[in-house]
Amino acid sequence: MKWSQFFSTSIGKKLLVGATGFFLCTFLIVHLAGNLSLMKDDGGQAFNLYADFMGHNPLIQTLAWGLKVVILIHAFLAIQLTIRNQAARPVKYAVKPGNSTSSWYSRQMAVMGSILFIFLVIHLANFWWAMHYGDIPSSTYDGKEVGDLYTVVWTAFENIGLVVLYIAGMIALSFHLIHGFKSAMQTFGFNHPKYNGMINFVGLWLFGIIIPVLFAVIPVYIYYKQIA
Amino acid sequence: MKLTLKVWRQKNKQDKGQFETYQVSDVSKDMSFLEMFDVLNERLINEGKEPIAFDHDCREGICGMCSMYINGRAHGPWDQTTTCQLHMRAYNDGDTIVVEPWRASAFPVIKDLTVDRNAFDRIIQAGGYISVNTGNAVDANAIPIEKHDADLAFAAAACIGCGACVAACKNSSAMLFTSAKVSQLALLPQGHPERATRAADMVMQMDKEGFGSCTNTGACEAECPKGISISNIARMNRELFSAGFTK
Repeated sequence: MKWSQFFSTSIGKKLLVGATGFFLCTFLIVHLAGNLSLMKDDGGQAFNLYADFMGHNPLIQTLAWGLKVVILIHAFLAIQLTIRNQAARPVKYAVKPGNSTSSWYSRQMAVMGSILFIFLVIHLANFWWAMHYGDIPSSTYDGKEVGDLYTVVWTAFENIGLVVLYIAGMIALSFHLIHGFKSAMQTFGFNHPKYNGMINFVGLWLFGIIIPVLFAVIPVYIYYKQIA
Repeated sequence: MKLTLKVWRQKNKQDKGQFETYQVSDVSKDMSFLEMFDVLNERLINEGKEPIAFDHDCREGICGMCSMYINGRAHGPWDQTTTCQLHMRAYNDGDTIVVEPWRASAFPVIKDLTVDRNAFDRIIQAGGYISVNTGNAVDANAIPIEKHDADLAFAAAACIGCGACVAACKNSSAMLFTSAKVSQLALLPQGHPERATRAADMVMQMDKEGFGSCTNTGACEAECPKGISISNIARMNRELFSAGFTK
């Protein structure tokens, strides 16, 4: 079987969607670990030094561009498969089964993914663009001058609208990953009674609940800290 | 019982089709769903009307012919049941029941509730077999097979090719059917020599037929009258990966 044949099959494409999705899941863990320092009571030193390191380390920068390519591959293949799936049933049923045979969020991966994509564009425009190409204030730690992204973030989350948008984005992330993680594992061929419980647990609790909730807590914390 | 039936009527492949409503009275709770259709059809014939075309054969739940999508569920509301084994005690007097054919571009409607499922046959022809030299029959116990594997292969082989998995899947995907056929052979020693080409050929044929791809919602497993597990889909993926990465 040639590579071109393999990656032309629906399963070959799904393998790429799953693999890119899994890579994005691991990225979330790193991103969250850094973001949590936004809530550290040190005037932004830990977060700004972290952001500076991430923004200037050549290896991280290469990975960051790779990350954007991965997101685009993930989205492109998922859209391609979704169009194909829609075409596979030209005449729809008059009566639909609702949630009796599958969970609603497992059927809304494209919708949640689209919401996440819009969220990502706004998110990058807010902070990534500001950090790299915007005119942001700077702070000096031990004689080193770094961009003060901490202040940019804290100022941004004075806006309740943005806080709500971020919570909505994280709700979409939660449902996307509750199904996405275990779905990727199934696509990879990991389905075994000994491990299914663990896969479902990690998918639901770590990627579906803990990570999105901790991400969402940050803007809420900043908002309340500032109005207090 | 008195029931209101809304049934999909379509003259032929080209016809657009529409729902027609029928009132059916004197329905016994002990009738099967198909027997209720027989009663309605006899009445239609007596009235000089065209009876409703629907597929059926064994009427004992093993042939997989009775494809009906009933009130949003493949083969009706009961789990692990074909339409012929669905009985009218599942319904109450005065109920309205909507009956549609399987909906998939790969399963075109031939007439009314009858669909063309030759796509499944072509998937089997692509690789759902083992090649054996003819001659004397080999002793059935000559090849030792572990009980666990034999049970898994048997569970996969229980697939009757009814198409409920395709009908139930929001993407009209045939992954559960194809994976059951790939699995029943991949699990047994007789299926090993051709396992890589089998998985590749069957998956490529499945895609070619225009079935959608799997999004792992599990609706197929929930609707399968034979309880085929989606663990077979994971196995087929592994089979295809071994073909894709090593062959």
